[in-house]
Amino acid sequence: MSELVFGSKIMQLIIALILVSTFMILGSTRLYSCVRAFGIQSFLLASVAGIVAYSTGRYEIYIIALLTLVIKAAVIPYIFIYIIREIKVKREIDLYVNISPSLIIGGVLIVISYYLIRSINIRTELSSFALSASMSLVSIGLFIMISRKKAIMQMLGILIMENGLFLGAISLTHGMPLLVELGIFFDVLIGVLIMGILIFRINKTFECIDTDMLKTLIG
Amino acid sequence: MEYTYLLIGLIISYLIGAASSIILNKKDHLCACAAFISASIASVFGIILSLSVVFGETFTFTLSSSSFLNFGFFVDRLSAFFILLISIAVFAVSIYSIGYAKEYFGKKNIGYLGFLYNIFILSMILVVTANNAVMFLIVWELMSVISYFLVVYEHEKPEVRKAGFIYIVMTHIGTGFIILSFLILASGSGSFDFETFSSTGAAMPQMLKDLVFLFALIGFGAKAGIVPLHIWLPYAHPAAPSNVSALMSGVMIKTAIYMLIRVFFDFLGAGVLWWGVLVLILASASALLGVMYALMEHDIKRLLAYHSVENIGIILIGISVSMIFVSSGYTELAAFGLIAGLYHTVNHAVFKSLLFMGAGSLIYSTHTRNMEDMGGLLKKMPWTGLFFLVGSISISALPPLNGFVSEWLTFQAQLLSINLSDNIIKIAVLSSGAALALTSALAAACFVKAFGISFLALPRSKAVEHAKEGPKSMLFGMGTLSLLCIILGVLPFYFVPVLNSIAAPLVGTTISKVTFDLSLAVFSLRSESISTMWLFLMLFIFLSLPFILALAVGGRTPTKTYDTWGCGQPVTTARNEYTATAFSKPIRMWLGNIYRPHREIQITYAGSPYFKERLTFDAQVEPIFEKYMYEPVAGLVVSVSRILRVIQTGSIHAYLAYIFITLIILFAFVISGGG
Repeated sequence: MSELVFGSKIMQLIIALILVSTFMILGSTRLYSCVRAFGIQSFLLASVAGIVAYSTGRYEIYIIALLTLVIKAAVIPYIFIYIIREIKVKREIDLYVNISPSLIIGGVLIVISYYLIRSINIRTELSSFALSASMSLVSIGLFIMISRKKAIMQMLGILIMENGLFLGAISLTHGMPLLVELGIFFDVLIGVLIMGILIFRINKTFECIDTDMLKTLIG
Repeated sequence: MEYTYLLIGLIISYLIGAASSIILNKKDHLCACAAFISASIASVFGIILSLSVVFGETFTFTLSSSSFLNFGFFVDRLSAFFILLISIAVFAVSIYSIGYAKEYFGKKNIGYLGFLYNIFILSMILVVTANNAVMFLIVWELMSVISYFLVVYEHEKPEVRKAGFIYIVMTHIGTGFIILSFLILASGSGSFDFETFSSTGAAMPQMLKDLVFLFALIGFGAKAGIVPLHIWLPYAHPAAPSNVSALMSGVMIKTAIYMLIRVFFDFLGAGVLWWGVLVLILASASALLGVMYALMEHDIKRLLAYHSVENIGIILIGISVSMIFVSSGYTELAAFGLIAGLYHTVNHAVFKSLLFMGAGSLIYSTHTRNMEDMGGLLKKMPWTGLFFLVGSISISALPPLNGFVSEWLTFQAQLLSINLSDNIIKIAVLSSGAALALTSALAAACFVKAFGISFLALPRSKAVEHAKEGPKSMLFGMGTLSLLCIILGVLPFYFVPVLNSIAAPLVGTTISKVTFDLSLAVFSLRSESISTMWLFLMLFIFLSLPFILALAVGGRTPTKTYDTWGCGQPVTTARNEYTATAFSKPIRMWLGNIYRPHREIQITYAGSPYFKERLTFDAQVEPIFEKYMYEPVAGLVVSVSRILRVIQTGSIHAYLAYIFITLIILFAFVISGGG
């Protein structure tokens, strides 16, 4: 069954597109386009879940796909755009690592993830493709958190990591129990809200959301 | 079945106490009543439960069971004995606290105090009933942390915060060693259950057993206050509210004694000779140094805290003598040593709680802890004075009160070491007897000072002049324990057989040849006997005889009120009085090598050297352990931390990068086939 689902060409295409969307975030210096890329990524993720649901015939995965679509592809990007608009942040991202090195590091991370998944024996060769993509998402998300100065990008990075985990979970288990998934969605939503509030507070205290300024807080 | 109800009743009562004090937070008086009355009700449950276990069956109650860990309660006679001890002290102290809490009305949050107080006691009960190492560590930590919050209850004072810091550092060092010790035991026996520990612990390799012994000694020794690890006691006990210090000193440090007995006798089996000798040396050192430093203290609560070190030493002398006997095969003598240790444990819990409550009453009415500022309080607070006197006599080990009985038993246990074959050990145990004798004498001197300076003579400062007796509940609390001091002292022959049955399963035998008439003769082997009962009766008879004679023969004599004779000088002010510093001067000179006293006199002259404007005198005893043992270690830790601080950059990106780098290294490790 799993070969059928993940082996299908359409699935591989979508997973590749997810990786491309990640590179869109890595390669962009505009906040809006980052958020848009994240929305696209979440939409693609929802369609992965939809395909899995279709081929396994389990109705609860449809619900998960729907929730992904609503929360990750619509609500969270909306919250991002709201924050960006409200605190009138400069639309450009300040970087620690420039765009071209970022892209190269992203590529290296994907290669590392691919080898990593190959070296731990996963049952089928085919679902390992999804798994290595999910590993790449996690590590690239972490890398985005490190290399970008704006607090919003840290938030985006952790959401990319979460997407990676979602992909990993769905590729390994064909969807966790509905209750667990619902819990995770709730967590993500609340997390985003809290992080949003924190960004407002940081903005109020430091007059900008550059996390570099937090250095002044050490004792 | 009825045990379960009792245990649940006990736990629920403490929880009700905790909850109600939070709910009634706003109303000080009501809140204090609710918190402390429910604590005393819970302690009654505890007393009934423990007595029924001591005279009945071992009791287990499982909360959840799995193949790996069984969370639950395990109450055998030893646990029950400690529940009893905790509950008795809690009963008296809780009733005392109803009055004592008035000290904080309007100044501090009573709900917070009541909440912590109830949870603290509950955690102590759980510590002595936990049935596996994991549960034990959780409740042990709970006890440590809650008691830390109680120590820093008056956190607006900087010295209290310092005391709390020292306490929490020391207690966590101890917990670290406890965890090590339990992990070794668990790996040796294959389970975290205490029952498995005790059934398979003795079969472990000797090296592992030695490690378990050493780690447990350090870990629990830090909580009990054995000498090099005692430094937190003189800070933490004075800093806490007096009712809490009564419990901390009277009861909490006994939980460490409980676990030491558990580990040494139950988990590790018979053990080897050097364990007992090591504990004996440390115990003798604790007893002697504790009382020596107590003599130099003028802060009444610090003085009592040092006496806790001393008494823990005396308790451990009994236990260590028992360990020596067990490892040499004299189980009957070992039972005797353990009885001595347990008897002193309960005695210390009773009289030390009493003395701390007495000190609390003094602070309640005079608002000072310095004995040099007190004086003349016996006339103003007669009942407190009486109760404090009873406690002082007990702790000084004077017959016929309880301290005497247990120290006498400890001496007997030490003297019985002449049965041992090894001469060196024999001499070591007997010289620890000499140390104990010196300790008792110094303790008596110390309490002559403590009682005499604070209660007798004239008031030494304005603080004392308006002192009044505290509320009735405080007197009731102290009175209960005073009565218990007398009962435990005069009727030891009722209690020794009970302790005998508690000690029996731990050493493997009971003392068979015991004669318990009105005297304390224990062994037909080499019998020494003394009867505190008769002493008490004689005391009554001979004290009242002169009065009866005077009344019968002498008739009325005229009374004349006159000043005290002051060697020809008129005694008019308190400045002529003997001070605590002066009282302890001979001992300070005699033991100068240990104290290394440091004196500084500063005179400011007003123009010419004939006119002295101000004279300040400052005398200090050098804190040897802090200066030569802890300060170098603390300095090392601080300098290492300063180096490590480089990685704390304050930048989120750097912290994330640490995670990222770790992740990549782990990836590389997996890819290279390391996994």
